[in-house]
Amino acid sequence: MTIKDPTVDFGFERVSWAEKAARVRQVFTNVSGKYDVMNDLMSFGVHRLWKQFTLSLTGLKAGQQALDVAGGTGDLARGLLRQVGKDGRVILSDINPSMLRAGRDRLLDAGHAGNVQCLIADAERLPFADDSFHCVTIGFGLRNVTDKAAALSSMHRVLKPGGQLLVLEFSTPVAPGLKPLYDAYSFKVLPAMGRWVAKDADSYRYLAESIRMHPDQETLLGMLENAGFSQARYHNLTGGIVALHRGYKI
Amino acid sequence: MTATPAWLAAVESVLNRSIEDSSSAAAAARRLSGTSLKIAVEGFSAIRASMAAGRLALTAAGETAADAVICGPPLAFLALLAGGLGKGGAAPGRGGVQISGDAQIAGLYRDLFERARPDLEEELSRLIGDLPARRVSLAASSAVSWVRRFGRTAGENLAEYLQEEGRDLVNKPELEEFLTGVDDLRETADRVEARLAHLEQRLKGAT
Repeated sequence: MTIKDPTVDFGFERVSWAEKAARVRQVFTNVSGKYDVMNDLMSFGVHRLWKQFTLSLTGLKAGQQALDVAGGTGDLARGLLRQVGKDGRVILSDINPSMLRAGRDRLLDAGHAGNVQCLIADAERLPFADDSFHCVTIGFGLRNVTDKAAALSSMHRVLKPGGQLLVLEFSTPVAPGLKPLYDAYSFKVLPAMGRWVAKDADSYRYLAESIRMHPDQETLLGMLENAGFSQARYHNLTGGIVALHRGYKI
Repeated sequence: MTATPAWLAAVESVLNRSIEDSSSAAAAARRLSGTSLKIAVEGFSAIRASMAAGRLALTAAGETAADAVICGPPLAFLALLAGGLGKGGAAPGRGGVQISGDAQIAGLYRDLFERARPDLEEELSRLIGDLPARRVSLAASSAVSWVRRFGRTAGENLAEYLQEEGRDLVNKPELEEFLTGVDDLRETADRVEARLAHLEQRLKGAT
């Protein structure tokens, strides 16, 4: 029997599992209002390309079902809705009500209704029957999950056989010479940007720290395989600043 | 495991869509389930194509073994693609492309790629919409026609300049006249040779 460590990373701190969940919830409650603006500012708009690339690999067809876990303001969900069409179904889930509210409003503003549902759900215990979805996505959400292994298992469970999981997440830069620049940007520029634009430097300091504590490409790949995913592999984007991991439930 | 390049994932995604949309390609994919092919173009990283559950996966080959290996210089692969992968085109094993391992599996993959050839206009329409994709497709088609026409016209103009203006090359009628003259000269020489031989024989007979 494996005894779990009673503490877990919250940025560079070690906190209890319950405290991490509460503090992550607080961070995203704080940033939900400026989340999209900050994403564009922090990534110079490149996050749209990362998400577009993710969507290009879903393999979804009209009439199928997809789940966007930790979907926040619904960037990926909107793309999924375009792919499954009116006969398909997309669930946008997030554990944070503020983020989900922002996502639901954006989906409604974009004219999506009827084939989309917004649901407060914990990624570690997804409230869906086994074999429910053709594709599950989680974009920039996994590193905030307290028990990542449990979340991956839960996402594996709700996928239909042959279904695919796509994990878009910050990772470890692999391009030569990129790491020092990226570190300087993350720890100097991001918190300052958060202070000026979102009036919240601490939340954006957590963002930079949580990226550093997130498993690197190979470690996350191993976690996918341990959760039962087949044909697991990853694609580095922008020199490894972000990586897209994918695996199938066979 | 090394990272799979993003462009390879995009190609894989397009091919898988084509496989799903074509019943014959899907049947070919099912036949290949559990097999793999390594494609090694000289000077480039090798690619490993594998099939599982009717889905094609393209990854960086690394040191992983494959059931069949197809390798060769880039020009040989280009010739293979330009000639078409089907019956009318060049077959693997010719023109510098080498196959090792299970040739039957390599042949089945060739059949799969032929059947799963993507509709580029359809793929473009997924990115930019139907109408713009149609227009881009028509523009690309016109551009290709223009390039072909330009190439043909430029060739004709260059030939005309070299033959008629610069006189660096002879034109076709002059060449034919020259060749006809050479033929006539050869025939005349043959006749003279025959007549001389005949005269020599008569002289020998008279003495």
